[in-house]
Amino acid sequence: MKRFLLVVLAAVMLTSSVACAKTTTTTTKTPATDATTVKTSGTAAATTGKTKQDITITYMVSQDWVQDAEIALGAKFTEETGIKVDYQVIPADQYVNLLNTKLNAGECADIFGSQGGQFDIVSQLNVVKNAVDLSGESWSSTVDPLAAAELSVDGKLYGQPLGDLSSVWAVAYNTKIFAANNIQIPKTFDEFMAVCKTIKATGITPIYECVSDGWHQVLWFPEIGPAYDAAESGLVSNLNSNKTKFADSAIMKKSLDQIKEMVDNGYWGEDYMANAYADGAKNFASGKYAMFVANQGFGAEVEAIGGDLKASDVGYFVIPLVDNQILNVNPVGPSRFIYSGSKNIDAAKQYLAYIARPENLQYLIDNVPKYNTLPYSGIKDKYSDIIKEFYARYPVHGTVLQSAVKYVTPQWAEIGKEMSAMILGDETSADVLKNTDKNRADQAAAAKDPAWNS
Amino acid sequence: MNEKKSYPMYFVFGALILYVVLSVIPGVIGVGYSFTDWSSYSDKINFVGLKNFATIFSPDENYLRYLGNTMVFTVLTTICKSVIGLALAVLLTKKIKGLNFHRAIMYMPAVLSTLIVAMIFKNILNPQSGLLNEFLRSVGLGSLALKWLTDSKIAFWSVMAVDIWKGIGYIMTIFIAGIMSISPVYYEAAEIDGASSWQRFKSITLPLLMPTVAVTTVLNVLYGLKVFDIVYALTNGGPGYSTEVLYTGVYKEFSKGRYAVGTTLSTVMFIFMIIVGFFMIRIMTKEEVEE
Repeated sequence: MKRFLLVVLAAVMLTSSVACAKTTTTTTKTPATDATTVKTSGTAAATTGKTKQDITITYMVSQDWVQDAEIALGAKFTEETGIKVDYQVIPADQYVNLLNTKLNAGECADIFGSQGGQFDIVSQLNVVKNAVDLSGESWSSTVDPLAAAELSVDGKLYGQPLGDLSSVWAVAYNTKIFAANNIQIPKTFDEFMAVCKTIKATGITPIYECVSDGWHQVLWFPEIGPAYDAAESGLVSNLNSNKTKFADSAIMKKSLDQIKEMVDNGYWGEDYMANAYADGAKNFASGKYAMFVANQGFGAEVEAIGGDLKASDVGYFVIPLVDNQILNVNPVGPSRFIYSGSKNIDAAKQYLAYIARPENLQYLIDNVPKYNTLPYSGIKDKYSDIIKEFYARYPVHGTVLQSAVKYVTPQWAEIGKEMSAMILGDETSADVLKNTDKNRADQAAAAKDPAWNS
Repeated sequence: MNEKKSYPMYFVFGALILYVVLSVIPGVIGVGYSFTDWSSYSDKINFVGLKNFATIFSPDENYLRYLGNTMVFTVLTTICKSVIGLALAVLLTKKIKGLNFHRAIMYMPAVLSTLIVAMIFKNILNPQSGLLNEFLRSVGLGSLALKWLTDSKIAFWSVMAVDIWKGIGYIMTIFIAGIMSISPVYYEAAEIDGASSWQRFKSITLPLLMPTVAVTTVLNVLYGLKVFDIVYALTNGGPGYSTEVLYTGVYKEFSKGRYAVGTTLSTVMFIFMIIVGFFMIRIMTKEEVEE
C-alpha cells in the first residue's frame, strides 16, 4: 500500500501544480545534463575467447572521485568483457543531494560512489536495502581490514574503497616560499597566523580556499576532531550518546572562530568564494598561493602541472587550529557500491573485480598523482621522503570527527553552507554549531536512534 | 441555453477522471502526508499533527527565509519582466528596419535551456575571470566589479537579473501579439485629435492590453512561485542560504529523506498558490464582465 501511495505521490509531483511538479522533473534531469558523461569506447574486440556481453553499466560518481586512469582501465575492461561503462560524473556540490534523491526514489545507477563510514552507510545509505553484499567477491579479502570495517554491516562488506585512505587532509605548503621568508612550520594557531601575516606581506595569498565546491572549506573543522577530544575529554563518546552537543563545546566554537579570523584577516584572499577545488594544484603551482588544505598526493599533482614546483617542494603540516598537533587519520573514504535495484549486478561485480586486480590497482597508484597507495594488500606504495617525514613528525594519531562521531558526514554539505554563512557574517559560530546539532538530531530522530529518542 | 447545442455531461468524464486520479487524489494524499513523520529512514508512518507546519513556520528554521526569497523573486521578476517586456513590445511593433531580426534576438534567451544559460552566466559573473568584471576593469570601473554570485548581499539580485534577462523575450512576444490585435483605427483617430505618443500609449495601448497583462502576470507569478532550476544551477541556494527558495528547500528535504517536511513545504506553497490564483482569477473575471 505504501508503495502504491509512493507511486501516486510521485505522479502528483510530476503532474499537478500542487506539489513540486517542475521541481522533480528538473531535479532528475538537471545534474544529468550538467554532468560530464564519459563513455568508454567498446569498439575494440579483444580475442579472449569469451562471449562478449552487450551491456552498458552506469557508474554515478562525484567529480573528484573518478580519475582518468580509472576511465582508461574501464576502456580495457570493455575490450575484455564487452561491457561498456557509462561514467556519470556529477559536480561535487550537487552530488550528495542527487545520490540521496535517486536512492530514495528507487532509481539509482548500477554502481554509485559514496563516502563510507560504519554509521553513515546504515543511517544515510541504508546499504542493507540499497546495496549489494560484496563479501563473497574474490577481492574482498584483500581490502585493508580497517577500511573494510567502515564499509561493513553485520560482517557483510557492501563497498569497495576507491581512493587512497592513507593520506590525511593537512596543510600543504610551498617549501620555497617558506624558505625564502625563513618561515618555520607552525605548531600553534598564533604561529600559524604569524606565518600567514608574513606571507601576505610579500604579496602572496597565504591560503588557497575553494568554497564554491561546498565541501572543501568544511575540512578545516572536523578534520581536527582528535584535538577537540583531547581538549574536552570524552567529547566524542558523549556526542555519540547524545550526552553533549556541538553547541556545548567551547573548543569547537573556538575552532570556528579561528577560521573566521583567518578569513577576516584576508588570509584566504579575495576570491575564495568563487575558487574551485579542481584549480587548486594549478593555482598553487603558479606561486600565487602558499598553502592549501590537501592530501599527500597533492605534491605530485602540482608537479604534473608542469611549472617550477616539484613534488618535493610541497611539504605538509597538520591543521594547527586550536593548537592541534595530532595527525588526523581516517579509515573512511569514497567507495563504490553496487545498487541493489540494478539489472546489471553481475556486470557491475565484474567491473569491481577488474578494478581490484593487483595489476590494475598498481596501475592506478602509478598513474594517479594524488594516490600514494590504495587500501588493498599486495601492492607497492610510492611515498616520497617528504611525506614520510611528515607522517613521522606527528607520533600521536586520532580519528577525524566525521568518522568518530555519528551523523556528521551526512551533514557535510549543510555544514559547508553554515560555514559559508558564518564566513560571510550572516551567522555566528554558535549558530553553526546549533544548526549542526539540529541537523544531527533530525537525522537521529528519523533513524529512531535510541540515544535521541529515549 | 439551447441544450441540443451543448455537449452532454458525460463528455467531461474522461478528462475529469484523469484530472482527479492524476492531480486531485495525489494532491490530497500529499497534503495528508504533511501531517505524518514519513521519511526514508523508517517504514512506519505516524500521524504527528501540525508538527511539520510548526517546524516550517518556526523562527529557528530557515524555511521562512526560503518563503520570503520566493516572494521577493516572484514580485520583482514579475514587475521587471512585465515592464521591460512591454517596453520592448511597444518598440518592436513600430516600423523599424530588421524588425523580425530584433524580435528573434530578444526572444532567443527564452528558447535556451536554463542550465546552459546558468552555466554561461556563472562564467560571465565569475568575480576573478568573468567577462563582466573583466570589462568593468578594462574601462576603469573596477570598483563596480563585484562578487556577483558569491556575495550573499548581491547573489540573489544576480539570480533574479539572469532570470529576468531570460524571461523577457517570452513575455515580450505575448505583448507583441496583444498590441498587434489592437485596431489601428484607434491610433489614427487619436493622431487626428493630436494625441502624443505617450497619450496614445496611456489611453489606448495600455487599457486595451490589460487582458494580456493579466495573462502575463499569472504566468510570471506562477513561474516565480515554482522557481527552481535557475537558482539550483546558478548558486545551488548559496552562498550560505542566501538564495534558497521554496523548491530548492523541497528538493533538499527530499534528498535528506525527510519526505514529510518536503511535502509540508509543497502543501504550504499549494495553499498560497490557491489564494493567489483565486484573487487573480477574480480580477481577470471582473475585467471580462466589465468589458
